[in-house]
Amino acid sequence: MAEETVQKVVFEHEGVFIHSSSDEDGIEQDLLVSGSLRIVDKDGEIFVEYRPLEDTVDPSNMLCAGKDSSSVMEWAQCPGDRSHQLLETQQSYETEWDMVNAVSFKRRPCTNGEGSLNHSHERSRWAFTFSVSDLRSITVKEEGWSFLLFKLKDSSSPSSPSSPLPALHFHQGGSREFLDSLRRFALLSEAPDDETCLLVSTPNKALSQSFENLLDDNNFGLVHQKFRKDPYVTTLGSFSKVTNYIFDAFRGTEEQHQRPPEEVADLLGEVIPGLEINQQEEPGFEVITRIDLGARPQVTRREPLSAEDWTKHQDPEGRMIKIRHLKQVIFKGGLCHAVRKEAWKFLLGYFPWDSTLEERKALQRNKTDEYFRMKLQWKSVSEEQERRNSRLRDYRSLIEKDVNRTDRTNRFYEGIDNPGLVLLHDILMTYCMYDFDLGYVQGMSDLLSPILYVMENEVDAFWCFVSFMDQMHQNFEEQMQGMKTQLIQLSTLLRLLDLAFWNYLESQDSGYLYFCFRWLLIRFKRELSFQDVLRLWEVMWTGLPCQNFHLLVCCAILDSEKQKIMEENYGFNEILKHINELSMKLDIEEILQKAEGISLQIRSCKDLPESVSNILGFHTEVSGSDPTDPGSRPAPRPAQRQDACSNGHGHLRETGSHNSCKVAFIS
Amino acid sequence: MTTKTSLLKVILLGDGGVGKSSIMNRYVTNKFDAHLFHTIGVEFLNKDLEVDGHQVTLQIWDTAGQERFRSLRTPFYRGSDCCLLTFSVDDNQSFLNLGNWKKEFIYYADVKEPEKFPFVVLGNKLDVTERQVSAEEAQQWCQENGDYPYYETSAKDATNVAIAFEEAVRRVLAMDERTDHLIPTDTVKLHRKPRSATTCCS
Repeated sequence: MAEETVQKVVFEHEGVFIHSSSDEDGIEQDLLVSGSLRIVDKDGEIFVEYRPLEDTVDPSNMLCAGKDSSSVMEWAQCPGDRSHQLLETQQSYETEWDMVNAVSFKRRPCTNGEGSLNHSHERSRWAFTFSVSDLRSITVKEEGWSFLLFKLKDSSSPSSPSSPLPALHFHQGGSREFLDSLRRFALLSEAPDDETCLLVSTPNKALSQSFENLLDDNNFGLVHQKFRKDPYVTTLGSFSKVTNYIFDAFRGTEEQHQRPPEEVADLLGEVIPGLEINQQEEPGFEVITRIDLGARPQVTRREPLSAEDWTKHQDPEGRMIKIRHLKQVIFKGGLCHAVRKEAWKFLLGYFPWDSTLEERKALQRNKTDEYFRMKLQWKSVSEEQERRNSRLRDYRSLIEKDVNRTDRTNRFYEGIDNPGLVLLHDILMTYCMYDFDLGYVQGMSDLLSPILYVMENEVDAFWCFVSFMDQMHQNFEEQMQGMKTQLIQLSTLLRLLDLAFWNYLESQDSGYLYFCFRWLLIRFKRELSFQDVLRLWEVMWTGLPCQNFHLLVCCAILDSEKQKIMEENYGFNEILKHINELSMKLDIEEILQKAEGISLQIRSCKDLPESVSNILGFHTEVSGSDPTDPGSRPAPRPAQRQDACSNGHGHLRETGSHNSCKVAFIS
Repeated sequence: MTTKTSLLKVILLGDGGVGKSSIMNRYVTNKFDAHLFHTIGVEFLNKDLEVDGHQVTLQIWDTAGQERFRSLRTPFYRGSDCCLLTFSVDDNQSFLNLGNWKKEFIYYADVKEPEKFPFVVLGNKLDVTERQVSAEEAQQWCQENGDYPYYETSAKDATNVAIAFEEAVRRVLAMDERTDHLIPTDTVKLHRKPRSATTCCS
């Protein structure tokens, strides 16, 4: 509940270019640097960030299926040293973010990867970030497209480069939207002597102006319009008064006419029967309520594992060594993007850790044959046959629909006829042949999409997906047993961690945690930005620091939301809505930090209930193999957990009579 | 007596990909995103409107259409005041499935008098050129199944979307007036059901 850094991406637009020919040293003439521009809210301070994108993200560059892939064939690809080239250009993807941080005025300096990769260095130097409060003006120019010139206040940063920031060219549009977004945090007004120049007032000053003033500022005239269209989005930022007004209005109608949700809840209880049984039949329950967990340790995250470090963990024949350490590093910081393509194959279990390079090549050859054999099976089904095969027909129809609705704003899948879409489709169809009983279930395209994006190869993506599905299979089965088990386990953990909150949810008929359904079904795929999903998944796949770490991730997010939920006295529907609307507003590093802290907190508890130990796999661990970093473990402290129970009780007393039995049970 | 706002729960049902979320988003936010994700789980949005002098807050529920998710979808059917059965005019199978959706809804929503429950049928994606379901077929189905109002909509072009929701509200209000007339003494129920409690004032 302590205030922590909250980072929200408020605006993001790809296809923003720097023309490096304008570079003074003239070395890189004609080089167009493509990148993405973001507005990020870090703890209420607004930053503009630009980072170059790597060309390997461009789907036209990847290995892909030909239009007619009905025969087993090699994929169209560039000749020669393509793979080498790919690796080299990819290195920089993650390090660029480090460079962003290094140039940043307020963030920590960072050395990871610096100097090791020339190419990345060349590109990374185009990355920049600045706080909006350091911005003096923006000059808007047109040259068939719009480009923007940023001028910073002279005094804002002693460390800023002496040369001005490069102009940003919006070859794919988006400059108006960018300025629109910026207007939410700063007042932009035309300079009296230059109509192309917008003077920027700091956010505080802008806020102190009346809201009407901002709306009437019609130089670009879009704030007003946008506000009317979508008050929710527009007011997310700084206009807190207006936000409150809207929320109040919203809540007003809700409160008056809330339909009793217990009907729905009762039914969900039947669907997930374990939750009800828990309360009544588990004899250890009262013991759980009295356990004191002690303070939650603060942990820090680290830098992503670099390509260099990855190579250091390989012996001359290509076997991975010091795997425990390697996993620990990945858990603490994730992977640089360049390493992902190889490392994910190990993390997912497609490649055995102790295999040699030769063995892996042989494995890939076999797996390639196997893949295309299965692909041929559905490819060779005639229309006649399909007419008599309703299951295959249904799978195909659903896959076609969902492929068109999966990550379509990601460059890898955007536009019509993008090869990424064909691959997504073909792999899912082939998976149906691999596991016809399961076939295709909605959500699976979400699980495949990031894997394919990272692998950039049909066969590897398929087998990595197979491995991931081995973990997730139960979620998608007919009875959805995996979902039920996870919801029960999550409920058990939450009860241990935060009884008051758990009781509150119970009192609102939400104790079965249905609102976490989407989180669990597709492992937060819809909750986080695409890049953050990659980070979370690789961290999870290390299997550290305990089994079912993703449930602690749930607990971490809920911990951050509980105050809001309880203070606002959210009911069944509002909790569901609130949790649904967290999507894309979560900060992955903060969540991982908190989740790791929770894992340490639980681990250091002496009288842990059996059920909790089982969920987190503490029993099955070999003694001495404690994977947590001793450096980040706190010294044992006397139990001093902040007791939020009083808060919970207050709410419980206010709830309706239908909950009387539940209130009684906590007292 | 002052008029109060009634909360009406409306649920969108139909096969995956017929455009349920798009219809809801078009109606509530007046936006259309061709690349919207398919729905996982259950979502809802609220929309205030006035129909024939009645202030109404529509609570529109949107669900995942795949069969597999039935057990986690159906609990939310309870308490619905209206059901919008949705298909896509370019997908004959989604039209053929309307009957199954109706059955599923009646069963799980525990509708007491199914023949009187207000269904509205939407044939979405009117904007596409290649139709698989004709307006006549759809109308015939509606007639034979309980004389349901039928609207051909396009979430993309915003065609008929608002009209369909308004019609849904009218149907519910008409139902309520009749119910209130028939059982005027059911005060317990009135107390428990805000809808019934608030629509008596006109």
